[in-house]
Amino acid sequence: MEENTKYALHMNPEGQSPPGKPFIFKCRSPEKETFTCWWRPGADGGLPTNYTLTYHKEGETITHECPDYKTGGPNSCYFSKKHTSIWTIYIITVNATNQMGSSVSDPRYVDVTYIVEPDPPVNLTLEVKHPEDRKPYLWVKWLPPTLVDVRSGWLTLQYEIRLKPEKAAEWETHFAGQQTQFKILSLYPGQKYLVQVRCKPDHGFWSVWSPESSIQIPNDFTMKDITVWIFVAVLSTIICLIMVWAVALKGYSMVTCIFPPVPGPKIKGFDTHLLEKGKSEELLSAFGCQDFPPTADCEDLLVEFLEVDDSEDQQLMPAHSKEHSGPGMKPTDLDPDNDSGRGSCDSPSLLSEKCEEPQANPSTFHTPEVIEQPEKPKANVTHTWDPQTISLVGKMPYLSVNGSKSSTWPLLQPGQHNTNSPYHNIADMCKLATSLDKIDKDALQSSKTTEAAGEEKATKQREVESSHSKAEQDTGWLLPKEKPPFISPKPLDYVEIHKVNKDGALSLLLKQKENGDQTGKAGTPETSKEYAKVSRVMDNNILVLVQDPGAQNVALFEESTKEAPPSPSQNQAEKDLSSFSTAPSDCRLQQGGLDYLDPACFMHSLH
Amino acid sequence: MDSKWSRRTGSLLLLLVSNLLLCKSTASLPICPSGAVNCQVSLRDLFDRAVILSHHIHKLSSEMFNEFDKRYTQGRGFITKAINSCHTSSLSTPEDKEQAQQIHHEDLLNMVLRVLPSWNDPLYHLVTEVRGMQEAPDAILSKAIEIEEQNRRLLEGMEKIVGQVHPGIKENEIYSVWSGLPSLQMADEDARLFAFYNLLHCLRRDSHKIDNYLKLLKCRIIYDSNC
Repeated sequence: MEENTKYALHMNPEGQSPPGKPFIFKCRSPEKETFTCWWRPGADGGLPTNYTLTYHKEGETITHECPDYKTGGPNSCYFSKKHTSIWTIYIITVNATNQMGSSVSDPRYVDVTYIVEPDPPVNLTLEVKHPEDRKPYLWVKWLPPTLVDVRSGWLTLQYEIRLKPEKAAEWETHFAGQQTQFKILSLYPGQKYLVQVRCKPDHGFWSVWSPESSIQIPNDFTMKDITVWIFVAVLSTIICLIMVWAVALKGYSMVTCIFPPVPGPKIKGFDTHLLEKGKSEELLSAFGCQDFPPTADCEDLLVEFLEVDDSEDQQLMPAHSKEHSGPGMKPTDLDPDNDSGRGSCDSPSLLSEKCEEPQANPSTFHTPEVIEQPEKPKANVTHTWDPQTISLVGKMPYLSVNGSKSSTWPLLQPGQHNTNSPYHNIADMCKLATSLDKIDKDALQSSKTTEAAGEEKATKQREVESSHSKAEQDTGWLLPKEKPPFISPKPLDYVEIHKVNKDGALSLLLKQKENGDQTGKAGTPETSKEYAKVSRVMDNNILVLVQDPGAQNVALFEESTKEAPPSPSQNQAEKDLSSFSTAPSDCRLQQGGLDYLDPACFMHSLH
Repeated sequence: MDSKWSRRTGSLLLLLVSNLLLCKSTASLPICPSGAVNCQVSLRDLFDRAVILSHHIHKLSSEMFNEFDKRYTQGRGFITKAINSCHTSSLSTPEDKEQAQQIHHEDLLNMVLRVLPSWNDPLYHLVTEVRGMQEAPDAILSKAIEIEEQNRRLLEGMEKIVGQVHPGIKENEIYSVWSGLPSLQMADEDARLFAFYNLLHCLRRDSHKIDNYLKLLKCRIIYDSNC
């Protein structure tokens, strides 16, 4: 800078000045055996300028001048092999001299080791190969630059190629390593490709890209392929159209075929809305209560049932069906044990069964129950009010009422077969059901073993029975046959429930006649003796009823045990009706539960 | 219990197999007398490994030098002072390709074996001193550590190669002694920086030399000058 200023100051009147300072801007070795340096001259100062390059090497003191100014072009200096030392620093300066003065460039420190930049590879050849049964590929080959000595290992070159379709904007570059060939597989047929290659020494700079080589990729798709694809396309289109048409035509049916509607749960004739409203009458009527159970069938069945019962010896042993082993868990299945007596219609399960399929031996169903019940003391009482019986189907609470052990429904005695027993009147049952609907059902469930409950149950039982009596003239109680010994040839009398008072008191009437036919249910209370009052309790298990025409007392029924009663009671039947007493073993007063007075006991005591 | 035992046996088997494989690979590098035909393969593997190591060492050295220069000494003209200041310059090594090709490969190998151990000491101290530098640059330190380790491995490999190519050679004890440690520990920051600069500069150069020599030797010995 100072020199420039100095020379500038020394400009002569012609405007000439010493040359400006040259600048060595690049030194390069193409093969690490020679190198060239180029400088940029400064202002020439209007006069012809002579440039000289001088250098000296590391570890030497001798200054050399550039051996070759020509080879590298203007303003260059070419160092041949003789003058090139590797792993040595060259300190190079350029002198610019003209008539007026000279200037020296800044020294440049050059180590040939780190300025290696080879020429691009040569002989780039492209070839499209068509191997059999494989896709065609482009095979690119080249040779290393001529000057570079790779064979001796003096330089190790790595290559890189790039290609693109002629019209494309971006190059696709691939690193080729130390190999001098490369395969390109991803080609667009029918395109003209341009390819270039360059190289780099192991510790140097990349060369410039070689000149472009071009090649035309032949069109790979034969007519045959196109035909196949066209055919496939047309076929798939046709199939799609067909499917669309089919769906359009039978859309809904197909949908239902694939996704069939799931039917909701439904009970035939059962209206859930009615259930929600709580109108059980309508609900029951929806069931077809007038037909429930189907009168014609059921009655016949019941009748048959009764007949079988009568005809058969009452020594029928209990058929230990599974039903007896455990209480029916199905809500529709009343505890068979609770199904006392012969009234098959008592049990809704039986009813349903009977209505659907007549049972072969209903007697076996009932009789064993009756027999079995004595084996189950109080516990059985609870069966009476099995809450499961209070279920939807058990909307016939009267049926649960029947759960009493023994004498819920008196058994028909032989010879006293009464087909017109009101118990077997389905209509009556329905009415019973409706009437009992008003009864507190909770009380039914909760009060199982309490005496009060027993009273209620008794009340209900009486209601049931009274309704029966009201409904029908014939209110013949069928005496339950507890055990074969009970079967006596002599006719038994019935204790008839005359009526049910308002508060639920049952009044008993001794039936004068054997057949139990009595008309005018409410008409002859005065004439007949009405036993509605309990005078006393005997032996802790015997109720003594007394006549009480006007009395409306709650009468506890005696629930007879299932023991084999001794025979002698028959003579007591002759006694005054005012007091009953049966063999203690026969009848026991059951605490709690539904206590029924076993007319058999009465009869025995009476006669 | 059984699953544990089976697992152990399985892992043991795996270990055995892997050991066998490893042994097989290392068995390819036994020291065998020169001239033995089946030793050529192992020599190739030795040279290949040596070239890979030397190439890697130089690459790291070059990067380390450039980073150091860019960070600490850029534009300060330290190069002007680093003329003829490498401790290994006293070792007469070929300066161009013709000289290198004229030297017998055994001599060339000896030269390599002279240069390499000359760097054991400097590299060790380089690592120590770079670690102790204020704001020790991690990049430079990690490279220095790796170079030191690779240099040791390369030396071992070269000794094996010499044992194959030129067995019976006397143990080479000629190497350059490095005395630049006090310079690295100077209190003067500039002087210290220059000491580092000089050391890294010389390391870059010598690692390139060794790499070049080994590649020459490999092409000459293994590929008969037809790489």
